[in-house]
Amino acid sequence: MLILTRKLGESITIGDDIKITFLEAKGKQVRIGIEAPPHIAVHREEIYQLIREQNIQAAKVDSIEKDTLPDILDGLRNLLLKDQQEL
Amino acid sequence: MNLITARFGEIDVDESKVIDMRGGVIGFEHLKKFVLHIQDEKNPFWWFQSLDDGKVAFVVINPFIAKADYEPVIDDNDTKLLEIENAEHVVLLAIVTILQNPFSVSVNLRAPIVVNAEKKIAKQVILEDQTCPVQYYLTTTGSGDEASIA
Repeated sequence: MLILTRKLGESITIGDDIKITFLEAKGKQVRIGIEAPPHIAVHREEIYQLIREQNIQAAKVDSIEKDTLPDILDGLRNLLLKDQQEL
Repeated sequence: MNLITARFGEIDVDESKVIDMRGGVIGFEHLKKFVLHIQDEKNPFWWFQSLDDGKVAFVVINPFIAKADYEPVIDDNDTKLLEIENAEHVVLLAIVTILQNPFSVSVNLRAPIVVNAEKKIAKQVILEDQTCPVQYYLTTTGSGDEASIA
């Protein structure tokens, strides 16, 4: 890992089009600003990991037997539609 | 164009309906092409089927059906990336997780797939709104945020 020391207001650049600026430090919290092109996804690590794991779980729907899933989805559909009628 | 899928066997894919993922489904970034597969018109649960890997398919639902007062705010960077000029062209798909033992069904409201239906481009975005749950349960068996319907 490359480790750099920066002062507040200073930046680092990554490649041609990513710039990270250190804005504010308060106790153990640091505020940083990130400028990156739209195709570069910037996320907090923990939420990114959480959603990644959720997607992997969701894709395991393939392990549910083909015959039982339509019944499950039909049952859920009835629940959802019943709810809408009540509203 | 025909595709061999794990769940539906061989399906016929209308090439004009292929959705190009920009940035991909998180954790599945290598899969770039998907189709929305509607097995039963009357059922709000649809399938988001990968064309690059026939084994990968997600159950998805319009998040507003799962939670009527859902209010997602899409980041400017994402609207730019998805070339969204008219909100009417936006379709949201929330990924559904179905677990069997114990049985639970949850909807990911924090990271919807935003589709520009006109241009057939999409991205799974992560909303800044921390009150949107990653697991919004449609069943009472799960823990955490629950829908009132179960």
